[in-house]
Amino acid sequence: MGALFRDPVLFATVLGTNLPFLSMAVILLFTRSKPFVSSRISVCSIAVSAVCAVSLLVRLFSAPALQYQTLWFSSDKLNITFGYYLDPLSLLMLTIVGIIACLVQIYSLGYMAGDPGYSRYYAFQSLFAWAMMNMVIAGSMLQLFIFWEMVGLASYFLIGFYYEKWSASQAGKKAFVMNRVGDVGFFLGLILLLIAFGNLGIPELNHAAVTHGLPQGLLTVSSLLIFCGVIGKSAQFPLLTWLPDAMEGPTPVSALLHSATMVAAGVYMFSRIFPFFSASPDTMAVALAIGTVTMLLSSTMAMVTYDLKQVWAYSTVSQLGYMVMALASGGYVAGVFHLTTHAGFKALLFLTSGIFIHEFHTNDMRIIGKKGGRKLKIPMVCMAIGALALSGVFPFSGFFSKEAILTVLASQPSKIWYAAGLFGAVLTAYYSFRLIFHILLPKGGIEEAHHEEHGASSHEHEEGHHGYIFWTMAVPVMILAGVSLVLGFTEHTLEHFLMRSIQVPGELVAPAAHAVSVAAHVAAGGAHHAHEAGSPLLTILGVSAGLLGIAIAWFEYGRKGASRNGFLSYFPAIWKLFDCRWFLDIFYRKGLDTLVYAGLTSLFTKNDRRVIDGGIDGICVFTEGSGRLFSFLQSGMLQFNLLLMVLGAGAAVLYFVI
Amino acid sequence: MNSLTTYLIISALLFSLGLLGILQRRNLIGMLISVELLLNAANLNFMAYNRFVSPDPVTGQVITLFVMGLAAAEAAIGLSIILALYRKMHSINIEAAQKMKG
Repeated sequence: MGALFRDPVLFATVLGTNLPFLSMAVILLFTRSKPFVSSRISVCSIAVSAVCAVSLLVRLFSAPALQYQTLWFSSDKLNITFGYYLDPLSLLMLTIVGIIACLVQIYSLGYMAGDPGYSRYYAFQSLFAWAMMNMVIAGSMLQLFIFWEMVGLASYFLIGFYYEKWSASQAGKKAFVMNRVGDVGFFLGLILLLIAFGNLGIPELNHAAVTHGLPQGLLTVSSLLIFCGVIGKSAQFPLLTWLPDAMEGPTPVSALLHSATMVAAGVYMFSRIFPFFSASPDTMAVALAIGTVTMLLSSTMAMVTYDLKQVWAYSTVSQLGYMVMALASGGYVAGVFHLTTHAGFKALLFLTSGIFIHEFHTNDMRIIGKKGGRKLKIPMVCMAIGALALSGVFPFSGFFSKEAILTVLASQPSKIWYAAGLFGAVLTAYYSFRLIFHILLPKGGIEEAHHEEHGASSHEHEEGHHGYIFWTMAVPVMILAGVSLVLGFTEHTLEHFLMRSIQVPGELVAPAAHAVSVAAHVAAGGAHHAHEAGSPLLTILGVSAGLLGIAIAWFEYGRKGASRNGFLSYFPAIWKLFDCRWFLDIFYRKGLDTLVYAGLTSLFTKNDRRVIDGGIDGICVFTEGSGRLFSFLQSGMLQFNLLLMVLGAGAAVLYFVI
Repeated sequence: MNSLTTYLIISALLFSLGLLGILQRRNLIGMLISVELLLNAANLNFMAYNRFVSPDPVTGQVITLFVMGLAAAEAAIGLSIILALYRKMHSINIEAAQKMKG
């Protein structure tokens, strides 16, 4: 306890990460009926957490990685420790989570105003912040896993926040179940490691992987299993359909959990034990393929939907795919950098969408456009900034991180990944600007045209009831827009910061992992390469991919007399394919129906009815029958029975005495 | 006359009376009283042995007190069962209770 107060770093860590839990407890126990108090408690505590996170980042900026740990329990050779691991990666992620959670909670003051579940909302937000922050600074994989599940729980609560709505509760359940599928793999991987290696500490694991302390087979199997967790949490290819459905939650929740931070947890975990993963070339190859497939599939889905939030949801999935691709091809810095910038601009996009949805009470971009979405000038500009960042246009943050990723992909021996990355960039720019143009330049103009003349948007917002609510929502959005503008220029600082603590296998040369080590080494310094020979071409290609996408979107939705239907509407089959999410959900439904419900469930039902119930019923019938057999002795004549008893006792006495 | 045998005979008589009562009375309260007789016969035995065989430790007296407490409890429970039965059957005749046979 004394150490806690003597060491300011430890104090800030413990305070910053656990204050949200305290606020959740206070809200749930005492202030549930007082929404105003609850929200202020929650916002204050998350603000303190964010301040703690930032001060930790500043204080430890050039310090070596710090580790605090105590023994939780030990048994034989097994030691489970509990503690904090503060290295550049976790500090960076802690700061991202703290700041975005803080902004989103401030935003929610306006967005959720008047909701009957206001206190509950803030309690769950605090729960999420607590779990996420603890997950980020976890010192061992087991601790990470525990908070990983907590985060999943918070996500379940928040997706199903409007639980009286059938689709919302279904979506919550779906997200929870699909995540568990991945987590089973994750957990098995951890158990395997625990049995074979006996230690789940993150630095120990990375060190062992780097120094070849683990056999290759074990490494591959366990890293593949752990990668299942990434697939579930970060909505990668086979398990990607839960994320679009998760948009049933309130919009700030989508911004915080389902785009900026929680779904990035999978990618974070990947980079957390990056040396461990990169020591297994097979896993890296699988991850690269999955990342690419995810990225392309979800981009195509985003091209056809008209739901504002769905577009950003698919886009989140595809950007997560980019991050996985970058990490899987060895680009540690590129992946983490994209995670950082994506957290900023995707939170921005969701929060601005939230303002539109709040204003026009619809998710449909066509209706928002018709009703005059562009008259909301601040959100419109901010959303455009977010979309530009997403499309990778200079000088917005997305440009730098996407550039870094494409450079890493270009350094792969096979160019197909690079081509896929470029194609994905075109699609990304296309679907983002399809949305922007839909709102900015709606088909057939704005309906209430006369409003437009005196429609200076700021004037409209100051009309009575909009003032306070609008500004609590607009200020976080503007901050995020500013962040998206400047974050890209921190690339080099960030790179040096991150590279300080990471050990790629290349640093300890060994023939077995040489191929990976070279790839990892080259890619880890991916940003450096951007300024070496051949890189201008890459930059030009990357930027022109983004611009091409925007140009196509302009041609179809922006220019005068454009059809505003999209070229895909000429191919109804493909449209349907994209619109139905490549029939993934239907496939799962069918699989579930035939395999689980018709197959396993009916088998188990039969087993239950016939064997278990039948067995117990049989025992009952036997007992009852044998009881009836002897029940004639029970004549009900009490005194007769007593007489028999006395005679029996007398006979026994006689027998024993004589 | 003041010997162990006297007490044992009296106790045996008491016990036989109780047994007779419990076996042939049709009235439930009568049966309950007979049970008290049985218990008191046992008590008398305990006291007699305590007095004549091992007077120093008071084990017999303690057991007697214990049995008296037990008898009180038994009477309370027995009477309440009889009351419940009376409410159900409107009779405290033991033969009426035969109807409860399963």
